[in-house]
Amino acid sequence: MPKITIDGKTLEVAKGTTVLTAAQQLGVHIPRYCYHPKLSISGNCRMCLVEVEKAPKLMTACSTEAADGMVVHTATDKVKAARRDVLEFLLINHPLDCPICDQAGECGLQDYYMDYSRAKSRFAQADKVRREKRRVMGPHLVLDNERCILCTRCVRFCSEVTKTSELEVMERADHSFIDAKEGRALDNDYSLNIADICPVGAWTSRDFRFKQRVWFLKKTPGVCLGCATGCLTEIHHNEGVIYRIMPRPNADTNTWLCDPGRMAYKAAQAGDRLKKGVIKNGLIDLEPALREAASRIDEHHEAAAVLGSPWLSVEDNAALARFAKDGLKTKNYSFDFDPEQGIKDGILINKDPAPNAAGARKVKAAAGGLSFKELSAKVASGEIKVLVAEARAAGLLKEELKAGGARLIVFAMNRSEIPAGAYATLPYASYFETPGTFINFQGLERRTEPTAAAAEGVKPLWAVIGKLSAYSGGSLRLESAQDALKGI
Amino acid sequence: MAFTLTNEFKAKADKLRAGYPRPDAALIPLLQELQKDRGFMAEEAMDALAAYLGLPYARVKAVVTFYTMFNRAPVGKYHLQVCRNISCHMAGAPGLLARLREKLAIEEGETTKDGLFTLSSVECLGACGAAPVMQVNEDYFEKLDEKKLDDLLEDMRHGRLRGMAR
Repeated sequence: MPKITIDGKTLEVAKGTTVLTAAQQLGVHIPRYCYHPKLSISGNCRMCLVEVEKAPKLMTACSTEAADGMVVHTATDKVKAARRDVLEFLLINHPLDCPICDQAGECGLQDYYMDYSRAKSRFAQADKVRREKRRVMGPHLVLDNERCILCTRCVRFCSEVTKTSELEVMERADHSFIDAKEGRALDNDYSLNIADICPVGAWTSRDFRFKQRVWFLKKTPGVCLGCATGCLTEIHHNEGVIYRIMPRPNADTNTWLCDPGRMAYKAAQAGDRLKKGVIKNGLIDLEPALREAASRIDEHHEAAAVLGSPWLSVEDNAALARFAKDGLKTKNYSFDFDPEQGIKDGILINKDPAPNAAGARKVKAAAGGLSFKELSAKVASGEIKVLVAEARAAGLLKEELKAGGARLIVFAMNRSEIPAGAYATLPYASYFETPGTFINFQGLERRTEPTAAAAEGVKPLWAVIGKLSAYSGGSLRLESAQDALKGI
Repeated sequence: MAFTLTNEFKAKADKLRAGYPRPDAALIPLLQELQKDRGFMAEEAMDALAAYLGLPYARVKAVVTFYTMFNRAPVGKYHLQVCRNISCHMAGAPGLLARLREKLAIEEGETTKDGLFTLSSVECLGACGAAPVMQVNEDYFEKLDEKKLDDLLEDMRHGRLRGMAR
């Protein structure tokens, strides 16, 4: 294994390790634009030049393999001068629109300019090559060709990760620019990653554009609930409003994040979020809605059923189990969800659109209950008179409910979620507003952290269930999400 | 406008392809072949070739736009390509370009009304030792000066350059 010395520190690395990654292991940061750990090495930006002893010229750290006895210097005057000159070239045609650029504050050009250049431009603003500034490319992205430094990360992302190859560098030298086929939208499911990996402000998200300066954003670790993959995310929010969701790269599940997953926060902040209960089609306050739902359940106490949900957290499923077992004292409940799981597109999106089938099964293991088939047969036969369920899970029994005619009492976040024919709907807090545990398709347990406050009167689901049980059945003494887990 | 690759072209292309390890390696010779047929590279032609080779369209377009040897619009009978890179530049290429512009009354990238001449400035032609150089269709004219250029234009106007015209 080659031994390499970088800035006086010696390290043994695996064969094939590049100087850049070796330096990273030693905690030495080498500036870069075109290099990305998950993309092929291009070596075009020249920002990572380092001095290698006995080499006649500076070498690009990203593409030079570490060799035994190699001695590298990353901060000599020669290196600094080279980086300053590279930056000067990169900035020749770069527009001076940082004040209106969304990348400002997390821009590679700004950062390295402060580190290496701080030089006054020798190029007049009037001499800069002008290009199209706002090209809408697909449903999620805007391309500003003027800001681009042609690092080709986006080109490589589309050809290597999504394998859709929409983008290429057209023309050559200072005529060159990033382009796609005319009329072809950049609409693969991972397009927003391009805005993330763009080291400058050339690719920006249409959703995030001009909404918030990045330095005001607070960052909370999160979990994507868009499917059973359960990617780790970082939620960027300010003053209780979520502005964007970024991937939190990790070895277990994801480097990237899909576009639908990034847009998942929209529903939590949508105008149709329920703040009150709904009886049939009319909005009423939560307390009377709870009382109404409870009295409908009481009418058919022994013929009531509870269905868990793969869209709910382990805690909320446990609260539902407690409600069935200790509140209603019925045997008609099911937490049996075993859909086909696995990565559907070879990247991230799972065959199972629900985030927590495994979590529901965990509750089943502790609390027992009917199989999904048994419960759906009972619903279809009309044996069940009242079904309590989460809205999307209730959707799984759509046909059976129609056939059996059971009254449906659902928990829903948004008005658009309410299934047709639901008798009563009770609102609950989203997992952006309340913590929850989810188990992904690999069996990894992940917890969401609240980033925003729920609207007044909107409670976490376990609390809504606690109240419902107090009106019908008996008190479950649920003071926290953890209490729900205790009984099972 | 629908464009389909002729069977004749496909037969030639299959032979060419066999000589390369990967389909994209055969791209440039195939583009040259395609340009020989039509004189220029239409969008539809690039599309058809991309489909034929199983390459993304953007890849084909990137290669076509990179090289000045591929024409993206029809050109005149004589395509005058003046090298603009450093050796030729220092040896007087800007003067030659200016003279051509004046005598033909066209700008770079334009074609004369009679369809005889198209004027382009191109990247290095690889003949720096004989700068300044101009390529006319497939032939090089080296160590040019204004007198030689004028004579050359007269010859072309009167069809005296045998074997050159398309």
